[in-house]
Amino acid sequence: MRQLAAAYLLLISASPALGGTLVVRVVDPAGRPVDDAVVTIEPVGRPAKPALRAGPYRVEQRDMVFHPFVSVVPVGAMVAFPNFDATRHHVYSFSPAKRFELKLFARDQSRSVRFDKAGIIAIGCNIHDRMSAFLFVTNNGWAQRAERGTTMFRDAPSGPSKITVWHPFLRTPSSTVSRTLPLGEGSRAETFVVRLRAPPLHGMDGY
Amino acid sequence: MRRLCIRTLSTRLSLLFAGLFAAVMLSVSVLLFAMVERIARVEVEQQLVTSGAVYDRLWQQRSDQMQDAAQLLARDFGFRAAVATGDQATAASALDNLKRRLNADLAAVVGVDGSVHGNLSPAKRQDLAGLWDSLDAGRMSGVARIDGHAKQIVAAPILTPVLTGWVLFASDLDAGEMRSLEKLSAIPLHAGVIVKQDGQWSRVAGSFMLSDGAASRQIDASLTGHHGFDLDLAGERSIAVAKQLPTIGDGAPAALLLFYPRAEAMAAYRPLQWAVALLGLMGIAVVILASWRAARRISEPLSRLDVAAGRLAHGDYTKVAVAGEDELARLATSFNHMAHEIEERERRITHLAFNDVLTGLSNRTMFHEHLNYQLRAKPAGRDVLALFCLDLDRFKAINDTLGHSLGDALLIEIGSRLKDVAEGCFVARLGGDEFVVVQPLSGDRGEIDRLAEAILEAIRQPLHVDGNDIIPSTSVGIAIAPDDGNDLDTLLRNADLALYRAKGEGRGIYSFFEESLNEKAQTRRVIESDLRAAIERGEFELHFQPLFDLKLNRIGSFEALLRWNHPTRGLVAPHEFIPIAEDTGMIVAIGAWAMREACRQASEWPDYIRVAVNVSPVQFHRPGLNQVILSALALSGLAPNRLEIEITESIFLDGSEETLKALHVLRSLGIRIALDDFGTGYSSLSYLQKFPFDKLKIDQSFIQALLVRPGATAVIRAITDLATALGMETTAEGVEETLQLRELEMHGCSSIQGFLFSKPVHASEISALLGNGTQLDSRIQATAVASEKQPLPRRAHK
Repeated sequence: MRQLAAAYLLLISASPALGGTLVVRVVDPAGRPVDDAVVTIEPVGRPAKPALRAGPYRVEQRDMVFHPFVSVVPVGAMVAFPNFDATRHHVYSFSPAKRFELKLFARDQSRSVRFDKAGIIAIGCNIHDRMSAFLFVTNNGWAQRAERGTTMFRDAPSGPSKITVWHPFLRTPSSTVSRTLPLGEGSRAETFVVRLRAPPLHGMDGY
Repeated sequence: MRRLCIRTLSTRLSLLFAGLFAAVMLSVSVLLFAMVERIARVEVEQQLVTSGAVYDRLWQQRSDQMQDAAQLLARDFGFRAAVATGDQATAASALDNLKRRLNADLAAVVGVDGSVHGNLSPAKRQDLAGLWDSLDAGRMSGVARIDGHAKQIVAAPILTPVLTGWVLFASDLDAGEMRSLEKLSAIPLHAGVIVKQDGQWSRVAGSFMLSDGAASRQIDASLTGHHGFDLDLAGERSIAVAKQLPTIGDGAPAALLLFYPRAEAMAAYRPLQWAVALLGLMGIAVVILASWRAARRISEPLSRLDVAAGRLAHGDYTKVAVAGEDELARLATSFNHMAHEIEERERRITHLAFNDVLTGLSNRTMFHEHLNYQLRAKPAGRDVLALFCLDLDRFKAINDTLGHSLGDALLIEIGSRLKDVAEGCFVARLGGDEFVVVQPLSGDRGEIDRLAEAILEAIRQPLHVDGNDIIPSTSVGIAIAPDDGNDLDTLLRNADLALYRAKGEGRGIYSFFEESLNEKAQTRRVIESDLRAAIERGEFELHFQPLFDLKLNRIGSFEALLRWNHPTRGLVAPHEFIPIAEDTGMIVAIGAWAMREACRQASEWPDYIRVAVNVSPVQFHRPGLNQVILSALALSGLAPNRLEIEITESIFLDGSEETLKALHVLRSLGIRIALDDFGTGYSSLSYLQKFPFDKLKIDQSFIQALLVRPGATAVIRAITDLATALGMETTAEGVEETLQLRELEMHGCSSIQGFLFSKPVHASEISALLGNGTQLDSRIQATAVASEKQPLPRRAHK
């Protein structure tokens, strides 16, 4: 996956239509890097860079946890849900962009789902409430997961652009914060300070 | 206490003890009441806290139960699917279904996006939307106000798996709810829910009214301090505990208020308090009774003693009854003893005051009392009583010669005889040998004479005391009331006058008072007062009677004789005024004058002629006689051996060494001492032994007897022999006849004095007397010729 991303980034950086470099940092009010945020750039009044379908995309169920927790996938991508646990899982999503149920996977069984609509897909396991994962399904090629709070856009567009940070627990009604910046050539760094709500099951061990 | 004067010991003790006990009881009661109150309060607080804990648990249980249900629903896949997919009808029906099952009042879904779903009124919908922040912050239960009602709210998140919203159930916290809570408590407490708005707590559930700001502050304090507090609810005082309730929504603090009216809390202890109060009162009553009784046991004997002491003060010698053997009994015994002693002593004092110690007869005081009483009590106009005044004859001589103890024995005997003889009469001894008898009269004057004679007869009986035979005799003076005086003084004075007359008339007789006695006494008083003036006015003069020395056949000396030329009475006889002068002591001044005058006159006479001056015993018994004599000698320049002092033996009657000493002193100066009137009185020869007189003057009674009584010559002879033997001269007094002279000459008499030779002459005649005839014979012849056959005139005095 990292290799894929690297290839993808390499591909973008080669594009002549692209501007400078944008580094976006996402931190909490204490200054600690926030994991699993997704940063998107939307040039104002212009189309975004189309997302390239790469793959394969997988969300594994291992040790009662979905891996990865947040994935950015292009619209129309097939995502596999392989089960590496001894238990069964009942993977579901009620998200409007894609509703699905994958019942009772046996160990090492993998089933795939195609996500053909952009949107955020919240994925849970009906058997294990603690299991949770998110798919950020988008057409925008400038959408990246910020690992350890940082992500770099090497081909950030020039001109005014809306930079949006999404995180599943971000404490706004839309779970996003955004900022419109006049991006230009060269590199630029932006820091987003975000406040996260506690994970829904945090402190709810009684469930 | 000062204003309220408590006069009895028992009351005071009772009050003191009762007061102390009451104070202790009150303290105990107050303490007990306070403790009871405190215990009750602590217990109630405990109950309230326990109830609070119970309520907590109930709250939690209920909350948990509702939350379990909510969570169950929130996790139901179908429900989640319905919510997530916006299947409102399905979701709403599921909510209703569970609401009924939970018996909740409200069920809803609040979306993460702030939307509210459920069968709800717009107001509720709006209030529920307001809970979003709390829900979002993770608070899943608490109290909130929904549409004005306090509700307990529970919520559970709907995870799909992202948080889509919250299932929410609410149940009312209304009065009914509170009542059911109240029923759960062990004590009938009251419960309510209050919320704080604008700094003021107000009720949202329960049946009470929070009145004022003070209550709010107390609630605040209780919430922070977790302790009970007193709460005033519409005038009723309660013990209250407030418990913070979790809130959800707008954050207005909410609390559960549990309270219990004090009156109800204390009601359980009321019987105890009453019992304590009753016991206290009973205790006080018992203490008052007991201390009263105890005090009475002390104070009753004391008050009896008090009464007895009061009576004792008034002379009523009552005894106090003695009971028991304690200190009070001993005090009573002592008191009785003391009362007895006082009675005895008073009786003795009274006896002494009114009785004569020696004879046991009444004394002067008693006599006064008695006589005054008799004089007052008896009706006037008739004879009432006769007062007899008695005076033993020659008692003084008896006392002096035979001794005081014999004198006392005599007085006792006389007293006893008087008492016996004067039966039915009052007998008293006034002092010395003076006795009085008061005889009540019944009309017959004869009885006075009979009693007087009986008294004289009784006294006359011989008495044998200490080997001495005494024949006492008394004189009696009688005065009769009211004729001789209607008051004590007059009566006594008149009886005394009568007594003097009786004595004067020969002693051993009785005499009635007559008015003439009074006149005599009056005369005596006049003389007495005139005497005083006489010295100053120079009314005295000296006459001189010569003493003819038979051996030398010439005048040897002159005796100075006092004469008083009274301005109105003329010449007053010495026997009329000398006794008075002696009685009053004026004799001292008169004697001094006579001494000076005699010496002065004598100094003009030839050297061989002496002057003889009479000195009264009174003068001897007063100090200063020697000085008077010495100064008279010094002033006149008369040689002491030319002065002869004539004394009577009566000066020895009071007879002390002092008199003898004075005489010796005078004699050592060369002054001659002559014993006058020798042969009368007691004529004790012991005087002659005691003192070497220069001369004895033989009393004229012996001289007169010379020619009349046989044996008289022998007496003269004996006297002259005795005098010669003792080296004394003799002078015969009152020689009036030649035969007497011859007898006296024959018997060796030294000198003569009398009318035969010369009567007393005036000082101016002395030189003539000395010039014309100092020869006795010629003098006698001259006299004989002058008087022819007429007898010689009797001399007036000496």
